[in-house]
Amino acid sequence: MTDREDIDMLAAEYVLGTLEPAQRQSVVARREREPEIDKAITDWEMRLSPLNTHYDAVAPSRDLFASIRSRIETAGQNVSANIASLSEVASLKRKVKMWRSGALGAGAIAASLIIAVLATDIAAPVQDGPFVAVFHRDDTQPAFVMTIDLDTRVVTIRPVEASLPEGKTYQLWIKSDQSGSVPQSLGLLQNASVATTKNLGQFDPAMLRTATFGISLEPEGGSPTGQPTGPAIHGRLISVEH
Amino acid sequence: MTTTRDLEKLLGQSINGDMDAFERLYHATSAKLFGVVLRILKNRAQSEDALQDIYVRIWQKAGDFEPGRASIITWMATIARNRAIDIVRRQRPESDIEDAEIEILVSHDTVFEEVVLADEVRQLEYCLDGLEDDRQQIVRLAYLEGWSRAELAERFAQPVGTIKTWLHRSLRQLKECLGS
Repeated sequence: MTDREDIDMLAAEYVLGTLEPAQRQSVVARREREPEIDKAITDWEMRLSPLNTHYDAVAPSRDLFASIRSRIETAGQNVSANIASLSEVASLKRKVKMWRSGALGAGAIAASLIIAVLATDIAAPVQDGPFVAVFHRDDTQPAFVMTIDLDTRVVTIRPVEASLPEGKTYQLWIKSDQSGSVPQSLGLLQNASVATTKNLGQFDPAMLRTATFGISLEPEGGSPTGQPTGPAIHGRLISVEH
Repeated sequence: MTTTRDLEKLLGQSINGDMDAFERLYHATSAKLFGVVLRILKNRAQSEDALQDIYVRIWQKAGDFEPGRASIITWMATIARNRAIDIVRRQRPESDIEDAEIEILVSHDTVFEEVVLADEVRQLEYCLDGLEDDRQQIVRLAYLEGWSRAELAERFAQPVGTIKTWLHRSLRQLKECLGS
């Protein structure tokens, strides 16, 4: 059996659910850094998902959403606490307290993968000053935190809980409606342990404000295709000027 | 009637931190997702705990949803199934519910029928029917009920290694039949 067939059967059994816990864990970890496995899993999910029609709907207890809401809000507070401890920007800490008190809604902070501006903010005039985006993987712990000063358009990306597999690199992307929704590379992150600074002077602040940022895992030297090829996580800017 | 487009819109609003939209998304989808989890865990309390984890995760991963790749309900059901399988694989919970009881609990609020891609359902069923009887059953029991290789081995009175071989052959045959 070839490696490719092995990977395909591993992905198939992962989706089917018959792998042992340790194997499942290993597949989840490998999926983060091996696009081939990620793709094989997605393909098997698509193949087998029609079986979902055999699941009948059953109503859960009526009050369950209240617990979910409270867990999301607690997670949001933890994330904002993390941002505070990470950032050297003293004022950020003050702002985080304000988020916590609900100026922006703790829920918005927990919007995780994408921490985005509230809908009402989008219509507001572009503000200068610091903004942050938080990039999450699966749990509530952020993988990267990006800060940007729209005045100078300098971004700093700090890794929080990001490990880098051998022979791989993280690449930063930007995507906006203006760029036709095709991700544009902003270059590679230096490594997974120190902050990387980039100047985005070529971009319009209003566009940066609403753009989606992505960080993908790529082969050393960056994506060979000019487009993200590996697993990616996303973030959007949220103002800390509230 | 909640359409796929409505659900996608609610998820989009949730990305922007709109908890009310997320609550509407929950009410439109939780019965379906609970049906998935309960069928696998067969324990109501554990299923409700799992459902909470699942919606926290959906909130966190909302930005990962790509409309072109899978329908939103398939995406959500995948998150739910993965969570339920993770739990059941670590430890088969004490069932406090029989299949027959689940039938009684079934909600008639099935808003999802319209998103089911009838052709894909028919094709997968056709390909499953092409498997030998036993093999078809093990695939269905594994996917729908979350049975492990060991549980399948016991039920079909075969060594675990044989079950693994059956699974692999069946999956390859399905893939070939589906033409992808």
